[in-house]
Amino acid sequence: MILSYLDIIDRANNGPYISEDNWDLEKVAMTTMKIVEKYDLAWNPEEIVTDDPGLADTIFDAGLELAQTLGAYSRSTERIIEFEPGELELGMRLMPQTLVMGEGKDARTLYARRIMDERLPLVWAGNPGAPHPEELFVPAVLSWAQEPIVDMITCGTLVEVDGREVRTEDPIEIISTRRELQYLRQILRQVGRPGMGMLAAQSSVSELGDLATAHPDYLRPCDAHLVPMLNELKMDNRNVARAVNSLEYGMRNASLPCVIVGGLGGDAPGSAVVNVASFIISNLTCLSDYHLCHPIHMLHVATTTRSVLWVENIVQQAFARNAPCIIVSDIYPKSGACTRELLYETAANAIVITVSGGHLEGCGSADGNAPNGTGLEARLMGEVGHAVARQGVSLQEANALVLTLLEKYEHVFEMPNGNPGARIDQAYELQTMRPVPQWEQMYKEVKTELREMGLVTLT
Amino acid sequence: MANEQTYLEEVKLAIIDGDDKASAVATRDALQADVDPLAILNDGLMAGADVVGQRFERGIFFLPQLMLTGRALKAAMAIIEPRLQERYAEDGGNKADTGVVVMATVKTDIHDIGKNIVASMLTASGFQVHDLGVDVPIKRIIATAQEVNANLIGCSALLTTSMPFMRDLVDLLVAMGERQRFKVMVGGASVTPEFAEKIGADGTAQNAVKAVQLAQRLIRAQREQIGVSVR
Ligand code: B12
Repeated sequence: MILSYLDIIDRANNGPYISEDNWDLEKVAMTTMKIVEKYDLAWNPEEIVTDDPGLADTIFDAGLELAQTLGAYSRSTERIIEFEPGELELGMRLMPQTLVMGEGKDARTLYARRIMDERLPLVWAGNPGAPHPEELFVPAVLSWAQEPIVDMITCGTLVEVDGREVRTEDPIEIISTRRELQYLRQILRQVGRPGMGMLAAQSSVSELGDLATAHPDYLRPCDAHLVPMLNELKMDNRNVARAVNSLEYGMRNASLPCVIVGGLGGDAPGSAVVNVASFIISNLTCLSDYHLCHPIHMLHVATTTRSVLWVENIVQQAFARNAPCIIVSDIYPKSGACTRELLYETAANAIVITVSGGHLEGCGSADGNAPNGTGLEARLMGEVGHAVARQGVSLQEANALVLTLLEKYEHVFEMPNGNPGARIDQAYELQTMRPVPQWEQMYKEVKTELREMGLVTLT
Repeated sequence: MANEQTYLEEVKLAIIDGDDKASAVATRDALQADVDPLAILNDGLMAGADVVGQRFERGIFFLPQLMLTGRALKAAMAIIEPRLQERYAEDGGNKADTGVVVMATVKTDIHDIGKNIVASMLTASGFQVHDLGVDVPIKRIIATAQEVNANLIGCSALLTTSMPFMRDLVDLLVAMGERQRFKVMVGGASVTPEFAEKIGADGTAQNAVKAVQLAQRLIRAQREQIGVSVR
């Protein structure tokens, strides 16, 4: 029998005390450093997609050892939530291998993907959490919900409702999160796919919004919500409340550890170890049905830097080989709409994710920090992922493609103000909901380039 | 003096290594050898912290090194602080551009990576930082600033929905008649100079290096203001 959630709450209340500073430095940073040394872990910035099963297995072992050594930390009680090795292993054995999202004819089944899996990855479109003024929210979501290649949708957050500023933990959070869900359901009906699955309640920053939308008119049990873990290997009662809330209701729990590459885990190998440990722990602390793989770069945020791409690659391979489960990986490019770099970043990230065993989610364009994401890059994300799977791109071929693409966009990390591009209302004609001509032109050109690079089945 | 150089080098190395025991020992040794405390601060501790900061910005060092260096600095500062005070008094109160800062991620927001980096870099630059953590009510931020007699309040918010609490903080300071007492800097990925100005804060910075420069500028401005009002 898997642990009852009450046991986890008990442990958070009664576990050994440790200050947060000491958890961060003495426990997470030091233990990871030792483990990285012990297993002699290293990475090569020229080998973003690795073809080294031994390395993937070692990263997995190292991550499991970290999870067993540390457990998790409750920031609310300042105590360690300890686990027996057997409990962590049972948690892994019980990880769902398939998961139906959505309902009726629009339902899709997520599944545990393999390395170089020829089955198509599912396409989960949207810029999770990106702030939107109310008038741009519907056009933005519509821009990707209308794309036939999309299997599920997600969305940004509402910054204001009815002209009023949204504040967290204020009654208005309830209103904004419900408003978000009303819009989403309306959009699904509008595009004729009312049963499509969603990852939503993004406007729920505290637990308030989440609690307020666990109702079939808003988030259905066939939808997913986030149960974030805090950096690194931490929970707090707010996020525990989210997990608990869906216990009987049965919503899909997506664990979200945003491991910081360059953070407490140190360089890429240590961060990959922390990411593996986070997934293992989140089976129990977040009651996850599937895992969101979303490492971020310490200084650049984006998932498209070399080190972060490498982490996504190795973490997915590690699980695909040692503990298959459903991993959905986020694409958070540095660049925003109407920039060519956004398309290169999206393509590179989609290649890495698809070939190493994940499903696709994105794009959180412009660091997910502006309403500068559109359906067009989500379409490209899906098309590239499908081509990679269909064509049976090998790990080595994938690496060569990614290195070529990196050359085309890596300069964005040197740009002092990033490369945020344009807002959805500048990138799309809102009357027709079509990309403006220059944005569509860029997309066509980049696709031609991708075909020439070898993605010949790109439709 | 070759000997003085060796002492300073030891201090600097201990800071770069992030070794708190070694930095305390090296600082004590240097003081005992009569090395000028200001030289220890600038050419030993700060010089070491500078190297670490640069390596971090270039992606050679990572967060743990930054945190360890913060610890090593704290240990050394505890030893050197009283001697520095004496030294400043001799110089006629001509303090360096550092001061006391209260840092926090505001109410309802738990994003702390950026705030921690800013706090570490401020510590590394000689500021005395009181880091209150995340999800901190504004009343507590103000109360702490009063209690520790801070020069500066630094607020971080990554959510557009928690940024309004920074405005509340400035408004509350005004209402309490305490606005002149503290400089307020705000930051986080969505915080723009326009936002900072609109809410009446004293400034914002895009990254930790710029945050330190901003803090130093604000401290200088504060000293000038006080100087003016005293005259
Ligand atoms: C990592 C991350 C998380 C982690 C946080 C872990 C942690 N311990 O901090 C986790 C997974 C827990 C998380 C949770 C959530 N997140 Co979040 N998160 C991020 C992410 C990807 C990176 C932030 C980061 O650490 N950047 C790296 C650091 C180094 O940069 P920085 O913080 O900007 O700091 C630098 C400068 O800003 C400056 N600075 C910072 N503070 C200060 C202070 C002063 C005084 C000065 C001068 C300068 C300064 O210097 C720093 C160093 O260079 C951002 C995306 C983004 N674009 O920022 C989203 C983001 C901030 N999150 C977002 C959201 C929506 C959430 C959630 C609500 C998700 C959800 N629905 O549950 C929750 C919120 C929980 C809460 N109550 O706060 C949105 C916010 C949208 C909005 N409405 O504004 C963002 C923009 C992205 C997104 N699309 O999801 N998140």
